[in-house]
Amino acid sequence: MHCTRGLGQHSSQHASLASSLHRTRLARKCSSKVAAFTLGNSRFSTSELLLHAQKRVLVTGGSGLVGRAIQHVINEEGGGKDGEEWIFLSSKDADLMNKEETQAVFQKHKPTHVIHLAAMVGGLFKNMRVNLDFWRNNIYINDNVLQAAHEVDAVKVVSCLSTCIFPDKTTYPIDETMIHNGPPHASNFGYSYAKRMIDVHNRAYFEQYGRSYTSVIPTNVFGPHDNFNIEDGHVLPGLIHKAYRAQKEGKPLVVWGSGTPRRQFIYSLDLARLVLWVVRDYNEVEPIILSVGEEEEVSIKEAAEAVVRALDFKEEVVYDTDKSDGQFKKTASNAKLMRYLPNFAFTPFEKALKETCDWFVANYDNARK
Amino acid sequence: LNGSAQKRVLVTGGSGLVGRAIQHVINEEGGGKDGEEWIFLSSKDADLMNKEETQAVFQKHKPTHVIHLAAMVGGLFKNMRVNLDFWRNNIYINDNVLQAAHEVDAVKVVSCLSTCIFPDKTTYPIDETMIHNGPPHASNFGYSYAKRMIDVHNRAYFEQYGRSYTSVIPTNVFGPHDNFNIEDGHVLPGLIHKAYRAQKEGKPLVVWGSGTPRRQFIYSLDLARLVLWVVRDYNEVEPIILSVGEEEEVSIKEAAEAVVRALDFKEEVVYDTDKSDGQFKKTASNAKLMRYLPNFAFTPFEKALKETCDWFVANYDNARK
Repeated sequence: MHCTRGLGQHSSQHASLASSLHRTRLARKCSSKVAAFTLGNSRFSTSELLLHAQKRVLVTGGSGLVGRAIQHVINEEGGGKDGEEWIFLSSKDADLMNKEETQAVFQKHKPTHVIHLAAMVGGLFKNMRVNLDFWRNNIYINDNVLQAAHEVDAVKVVSCLSTCIFPDKTTYPIDETMIHNGPPHASNFGYSYAKRMIDVHNRAYFEQYGRSYTSVIPTNVFGPHDNFNIEDGHVLPGLIHKAYRAQKEGKPLVVWGSGTPRRQFIYSLDLARLVLWVVRDYNEVEPIILSVGEEEEVSIKEAAEAVVRALDFKEEVVYDTDKSDGQFKKTASNAKLMRYLPNFAFTPFEKALKETCDWFVANYDNARK
Repeated sequence: LNGSAQKRVLVTGGSGLVGRAIQHVINEEGGGKDGEEWIFLSSKDADLMNKEETQAVFQKHKPTHVIHLAAMVGGLFKNMRVNLDFWRNNIYINDNVLQAAHEVDAVKVVSCLSTCIFPDKTTYPIDETMIHNGPPHASNFGYSYAKRMIDVHNRAYFEQYGRSYTSVIPTNVFGPHDNFNIEDGHVLPGLIHKAYRAQKEGKPLVVWGSGTPRRQFIYSLDLARLVLWVVRDYNEVEPIILSVGEEEEVSIKEAAEAVVRALDFKEEVVYDTDKSDGQFKKTASNAKLMRYLPNFAFTPFEKALKETCDWFVANYDNARK
């Protein structure tokens, strides 16, 4: 009786799982284990947790920009739900490029769900230097994590792609169906292909095992706890750090490139709230773009000017046009997201930028840079 | 080793269809050159899915050049069953081999792609510039993406380290020493094995699918001669298609009829249209190859098929099936 009810709950929660093989596996486990649920420190198996509509969510890259935002939403904003247990991993817990360490940490925690954020990442100039390392390291991390999740029977993995991986020669706006329609921009092809292959990997797990592993595609993310390193970081944290230092030294803010390329920026806290919705309620294997709308796209020049306002920067702003511009635009459509969540309210850009700059100034000493 | 124009060439997958053909050309046809040392590896020597074993075998031999043929391969029906395994296993093999080659300072690696990895929605003929222009056919997307990523990997080695690692793209290869397994093998060896058994049992040859899809076939011995040229004299990082011309494309029906002639098959030939056809065509241009080697002479199809069938009949007991 208890067991049948449990299975019924699964059927509705996981209705999207097309494979009857998977349901058969669940049914088999169900009939052999009717365990009374007790609180405590014992590590229940994945199937036992699912039977009681419990989630144990493991977040890789938990100390990074997006991981910290999710922690904030869960811990400070009451964003968690009953029956959810959240575990945030960082590189201290396991080197995910190492297969054995990854297996060990997954065996230890036995998650039912995984938010896979860990990756080797960097801005334009770092990618251009070491495309090979971006390719290899991310392929290793992704294979280790997905395979470990599969082996502990995690029912869902949400991995993180990026709009920078889309085809370079394309029409706009780009959408979820276009990921593989041509080569990515040359500047970061190693990273781009490694991320694209997560989608290939997800589809292969679905086809061979009925797994509901999926991915999200954010545009350019920013927020507290970012990597503010000027050489290796992304454009907004780079500008914030540069402006902060230029102000202290009474020098101009030097923006790399012409300032004309355009980007959609998404605040890490908004992204975190959306990722929580994806983990709980988005049931497709095909990815979903998580972004502000096309009309919110701004030029690097406009972004620099917004940073100037947020930091009350007093000096000149100059553009070093000898430096590379990277891709001119990557305009992504958020129509699919809007169909699912028509009422989702993004934090206004100026407000989000102000919060980020305030955080950076207050946490300058500890900030990653 | 490089200073005296010596080459130590390591061939992974040396006991497979193409590896055996290269061995034949080197050992039986005087295809080797002075100053070349040839080492053929098989799975007995190292499990290339295992990083440590791969490193060990590369450290042992310290090749200057590598012909990387080892892969998890199979025909249409096997791919459809286990796309995940095709993706993962081939990514591991390829990363282990390329990285091991890089670490022993090999100056050249020639890997093996396939025309089945090209975009499914495409114009024809396909050429070397089109590999990444869209998703591959759904039936073998795991294998296809893993192979495509060799090209990505090669370009990354070139960009970061100046390595001259490249790849070749054969069309459908056939010849002695193939995998003649009917469930898992490719179409020509599958047809040969099926016809051989059907003849023995006095039954019809059942061809899977409608017989209408079209393929370009390249004899393994021709491919081997071309791969030797690539190792020695092809210096681009971008891949090169190794194939007969577009006009040599034949339908599966025509291929089945050629097998019937080569084996002197006496029974009926029927087509099981319930079975999948796979991709309708993958017509590849060999214009780039023809620019480099305008006088290269491919073995005529009927002759190559006859040699393959004769080999199969003579070696039935030992043949992989």
